[in-house]
Amino acid sequence: MFLEARDIVKAFGAFKAVDGAELDVNEGEIVGLIGPNGAGKSTFFNCLSGDAEPTDGTIHFLGRDVTALSPEAHARLGMARTFQVPVTFEDMTVVQNVMVGAFLRHPHRIGAMRKAEEILEFTGLAHLAGSPAKSLGTPGRKRLEIARALATEPRLLLLDEALAGLTPGEVRLAIELVRRIKGLGITIVIVEHIMEVILSLAERAVVFHQGKVIASGAPRAVVDDPAVVAAYLGHHMKRVRM
Amino acid sequence: MILLQVVVSGLLMGAVYALFSSGLTLIWGMMNVVNFAHGDFVMLAMYAAFFAFSLLHLGPVFFIPGAAALLFVLGVAVYLGLMRHVSRGPMLAQILGTFGLALVLRYAAFWAFTANFVSLPDNLVGGTFDIHGLRIEASRLLAGVLALVITIGMHLVLTRTALGSRLLAVAEDRDAAMLMGIRPDRMQALAWGIGAASTGVAGALIALFFYISPTVGESLSLIAFVVVCLGGFGSVPGALIAGLGIGVIEALSAYLIGAVYQDVVVYALFLGVLWIRPQGLMGTN
Amino acid sequence: MKHWPLAVIGFLFIAAWPLMVQDVFLQRVGALVLLAAISASAWNLLGGYAGQVSVGHAVYFGAGAYASLVVYTELGWPPIAGAPIGVLVSMGISALVGTPTFRLRGHYFSMATIAAAELFRILAANWPLLGAAVGLMGPPVPRGFWDLSFLSPVPYHYLFLGVLIVLLALIWQMQRSRMGFYLAAIRGGDRAARSLGVPVLRYKLYALLLSAGFTSLAGSLYAVMVGFIDPDSALGIVISVKLLIIAALGGAGTLFGPLIGAMILIPLEETTNAMFGGGGTGITFIIYGAIILLVARFQPGGVAAFWDKLTTRRVRHVP
Repeated sequence: MFLEARDIVKAFGAFKAVDGAELDVNEGEIVGLIGPNGAGKSTFFNCLSGDAEPTDGTIHFLGRDVTALSPEAHARLGMARTFQVPVTFEDMTVVQNVMVGAFLRHPHRIGAMRKAEEILEFTGLAHLAGSPAKSLGTPGRKRLEIARALATEPRLLLLDEALAGLTPGEVRLAIELVRRIKGLGITIVIVEHIMEVILSLAERAVVFHQGKVIASGAPRAVVDDPAVVAAYLGHHMKRVRM
Repeated sequence: MILLQVVVSGLLMGAVYALFSSGLTLIWGMMNVVNFAHGDFVMLAMYAAFFAFSLLHLGPVFFIPGAAALLFVLGVAVYLGLMRHVSRGPMLAQILGTFGLALVLRYAAFWAFTANFVSLPDNLVGGTFDIHGLRIEASRLLAGVLALVITIGMHLVLTRTALGSRLLAVAEDRDAAMLMGIRPDRMQALAWGIGAASTGVAGALIALFFYISPTVGESLSLIAFVVVCLGGFGSVPGALIAGLGIGVIEALSAYLIGAVYQDVVVYALFLGVLWIRPQGLMGTN
Repeated sequence: MKHWPLAVIGFLFIAAWPLMVQDVFLQRVGALVLLAAISASAWNLLGGYAGQVSVGHAVYFGAGAYASLVVYTELGWPPIAGAPIGVLVSMGISALVGTPTFRLRGHYFSMATIAAAELFRILAANWPLLGAAVGLMGPPVPRGFWDLSFLSPVPYHYLFLGVLIVLLALIWQMQRSRMGFYLAAIRGGDRAARSLGVPVLRYKLYALLLSAGFTSLAGSLYAVMVGFIDPDSALGIVISVKLLIIAALGGAGTLFGPLIGAMILIPLEETTNAMFGGGGTGITFIIYGAIILLVARFQPGGVAAFWDKLTTRRVRHVP
């Protein structure tokens, strides 16, 4: 199995944000993690990337137990991620941001620069290479984060709401980029709460609710699952009552 | 018996440490910034008490609340004039801001009041209690008890009142607090006011029995850092326990090894704890 | 680097300074500027490039200064021979302070560095081997060339200039290499840096070791030039503050920032000291404090950022 997470529990004090979640990912597929806000998908996602160590359970990546490894070890093994709120390096230029990622596999400046330029071309940011990262807007930052992650030459890319906050036009461009990344042979796990994105991108959807996986399968089938509908409806009703 | 004497005076001093450290921990909890001028605030309060007495002939009943009010205003002014602007900037700017303030206060005091030590008359809060051979100066007893009461009061205000929960809401999540109709700016200004007022009371209390000099704030700042680190950032009860503990350790090491080394023991202990339990004795990171 | 021509002119000016001015006071100021630039550049490696703000670099400066004079008082060696020992001691102390605190939020590191510095200052002030409160003296009369004891400030000027050029060349090289990018990433945010495979703890420690080592070397050079140190002049909190202010004023995290900061602050300090005598120290520090307060409030990037702003604005006016 490419990526395998078993019985993941992540507790904050008495509260279990993730409570026995499971996930299997095959090489080359795009898997979407969905669920209402506060369902635990982001916490689970942080466990996968090494940002948070699960309280219980194991995660295997490419046959290795990575449960307790640091985020940087995850990156070395070929797992890259983006953040829900983009964290670009503000006082560097766009190309320098990407070079930080590229240095992982290219220790020398020239090699890292070539890799970064190649990635900027691929992600359509080449014309902004010399601009300061802080001059970018949200869509640019999200794209830059993806570029930076790609520069580490990952085999698995974890996207945390990479499309949230984009206009419909920008979403279309981003979807097209994700498809091209898949075309490179990179496996993708994407957290998203926009259903339409998952429907058009993911080959498989995994639904979180109250820290557990309540459904998994083809996106179309999953959204019609009564348990999923109930989870989303219940959530909406709670919101209305608030 | 002497050891008990030492422990008691350590506890009384520790209560004052706890008081002004609670102010530091409150400011940290609200804004994630460290006030490097905290000890110098205490120094200003000591001078305020001194001049209130020597120039205006005001007694402790007036100059303790007076120093608190003065420092409250200073705290709010520092927030509005400086910290509000640098708190969202790079960490270097935050450190530089309060560090610069500390230097200005310290050396302005140096320049205005000279390096000479001054002190309030011994008999301002006169007398010594003798409890079965345990001798406690009234001024230290007053300082310790009052500091303890105010620190606990501060904790109660934070945890039991509407104002406290508004403050904590901002500390917890600024944006969420804003949605609830709380104005974070006001709450942060208030936190700086309260945090500085705690140094005002503490300074006026220390002035009752301790000499006053422009550089006294330097070591007081360090003590506040140690107390806050050990107690866990943002925790008033943590600061209380750590403050009392530091007071006792300081008094014991002054008695057992020598007064010169009392700070060495405290700093070494602090660095040692960082190795064993980096998040502080009571902190959760 | 768009400012190379300016930098070259600046260095020629600095190199010619002791020949242009005949006044010993001005020559001495020149040497002190370079020494401050070395120290602040060393601080900048950690505080500027890696964004880990140390307020206790006096420990390393003091370790170098004391090591130099202790090898003279105890072993009779030329003071400069103590420099490598100071560097090793400094690196040891820095590993001791850095390892636990780098895992935590930045402020812990800053506070731990102050505590460590004060701890060592008090110890030195009470340790007879280190001269206790009185301090230590270097060789009163030079016994040979390697005592590096000269009457004129000019030889020191060129010695310091040489060291500064080597250090800046090293930092420039570092800045362009993987390490430079990794430090900048760490300054930008630990979490994002780690997600890209940056071993954050290790690189912070590298920066600290380098920074501590060079600060210690600066301390040794200071002891060699001045020939006398005491706990306050070598280990005082004032030293830590000076390094921080010089780098921040010039521009933390820029190659020439510390040199620019030193060129502004050291002449200022020497002038106020000369004008007000002993009482000048107080005024100097009021000015220092006010300057960093204003830098923090209005221009956290220091003179370098201000200059950038000025020059870019000028470029934009050209259509």
